[in-house]
Amino acid sequence: MDATSSIIISVFSTSSGNGKTVTAINLAAGLAEEGYRTCLVDLDLQFGDVMGYLDMVSDFTIADAQRAILRNEEKFNVDDYLTEYKCGDTAFSVLPPPREINDAYLISVEAVEKIIGSMKGFNFVVLDLNAVFNTLNLAMLDMSTVINFVGVMDFLPAVKNYKVGYDTLLRFDYEESKICLVENKADSEQYIKARDVERLLGAKIYHHLPSDPQAITYSIRMGKPLMYCVPLSPLTQSYWELVGRYTNRTKKSPTASLPANEKKGPKKLLSWLLGEDDWLTAQNMK
Amino acid sequence: MLSRMAGILKANDAFDLAATFHDADTAYGQSSVFRPTLFLINVDEPEAVEMIPRFIKSYPQAQVLGLMGQWKSSVADAMLSAGACGCILKPFHSADVFEALKIYKRRGKSLPTRTLALFSPKGHSGRTTLATVLAIELAKKSGESVGIIDADLQFGDVAMFFDAVPRHNVVEATHDINLLTPAALENYFHPVGNGVWIMSGPLQPEHAELVEANRLIEVVRMAGCLFRYVILDLPVGFNPISLALAECADTDILISMLNSGQEVRHMKRSLKMFHMWDAYGKRVYTMFSGVQNCTEDHKRKLEGELGRSVTLMLPEERRIKDVTGSGRLMKDLPDSSPYVEAVSEFAFALIGDRR
Repeated sequence: MDATSSIIISVFSTSSGNGKTVTAINLAAGLAEEGYRTCLVDLDLQFGDVMGYLDMVSDFTIADAQRAILRNEEKFNVDDYLTEYKCGDTAFSVLPPPREINDAYLISVEAVEKIIGSMKGFNFVVLDLNAVFNTLNLAMLDMSTVINFVGVMDFLPAVKNYKVGYDTLLRFDYEESKICLVENKADSEQYIKARDVERLLGAKIYHHLPSDPQAITYSIRMGKPLMYCVPLSPLTQSYWELVGRYTNRTKKSPTASLPANEKKGPKKLLSWLLGEDDWLTAQNMK
Repeated sequence: MLSRMAGILKANDAFDLAATFHDADTAYGQSSVFRPTLFLINVDEPEAVEMIPRFIKSYPQAQVLGLMGQWKSSVADAMLSAGACGCILKPFHSADVFEALKIYKRRGKSLPTRTLALFSPKGHSGRTTLATVLAIELAKKSGESVGIIDADLQFGDVAMFFDAVPRHNVVEATHDINLLTPAALENYFHPVGNGVWIMSGPLQPEHAELVEANRLIEVVRMAGCLFRYVILDLPVGFNPISLALAECADTDILISMLNSGQEVRHMKRSLKMFHMWDAYGKRVYTMFSGVQNCTEDHKRKLEGELGRSVTLMLPEERRIKDVTGSGRLMKDLPDSSPYVEAVSEFAFALIGDRR
């Protein structure tokens, strides 16, 4: 698919620890797996975790990109500042946050807008934002096609903050259709029910991501998106469904969308179907 | 002005005005004949402030209140540090004097305020839980008053932890601060019982923009006249508010929840910013919450990775999450649990730590 204008998905929440980074990584991986040219931008400038979670290092960061675009916008090529994450045949680009906190202070909103605006060669740009309403995040939300607004509903103050965040987004005139409410760590046993949250917000939750802390821990330890290390996890499947909703895909599982001989080979597909060791779940991963 | 203030005191039967003097030096030398129980000293004169320790030493049975034309936090801090009961603005009503003495009595010992700033590089760190439980334990152990200021200006949860609906918040306090005295500032705090008061965050995240760091610092410093311990629940990460308040506090507590394995790296990055203050005698403590294995070996391992001592390792406890999440913190905080005991021990060490 040739891209002329990227679809920008921002992953936002109103408190940290809600799974923004994990969501952003798995969205990017899923989109890349579907064949879309994807870039993941870590905009948690002070304490971004994308590089750590993917076990990556890079020579360039957004601070270098900013210096270059401010020096000569005409000659700026964003590809020079991206680091590729590769797993099997699938790859997506990553724009890391600055290495030092002092550099994070020097990042300007205008420069980031220009950098994101220059990513027209990508089908999808996924932005991992931090949990605050600041000038940078608001500028990114303005640029976004979709706001993937993540919340965990296991703690009453967190629900309050989710409601406050949602109301603020509406007050700031973001269209309801642009805000996709995503419940993370959804658990039918939790005392705060999703339907109560929906009643509180006055809006339907777009997608529910089930809880699977073991899978996430394993994914971080392996430095890989969930689909490459725990594909049978319900969480992995749920991320795949979420990707499908953003791409209007109707197929249900990652393997179903990939030609077996081209991507994994028939043996591995069979292993996956039979749940053999090659395909790890949160239960057998140890 | 002197005769006007003398007239106010004379008009109230609760006061027995012994004498008036035009300068603190004369008052110091001549007051012994009157066996005074209260000095009202004009502290707009720097020499008078310098004399306060001598008044306290020579007249141990007397209380000392400073009189200011305009509120100056530095003078108020100096008065408290010297052992005075604080300051009021002049001209005053007799009720202002009673109010100031009442506040001072409730505040606690005649010692300078301890201001503790709780910082976390990322959210979901247990920062507010530590701030609130520490406040309860400090008040309980010391018998002195503790104020919490919710400076997490967009998504502060302090009021919710106590199931409180305060009438005022930090935005109003910072807006009004130049017109306030400690007695007036007290109305911006909400009592949650057992010697703990809270100042809640704003109702809407965008109101955070209305808070200027220098005005918030003034609120913090004036809060020191009301409370012996002032706890600041800072916003996540480094921003003008968290940096200014961390710098203004005498003690900074860095807390991170062990979760994804990146926390030590975040803490090390944060410590770089605190290093300079650390070198200037500020107390900087590092703590980890959500620790599943609170053993000495684990602590040593974390200290090895961090390259400095870890003051506290706080276990993850379902009970604590339940009482904070449901607003029953003050009512149902367990007396003894590994989490509470760890915080209580730290509170005890703080109380004994004379700065």
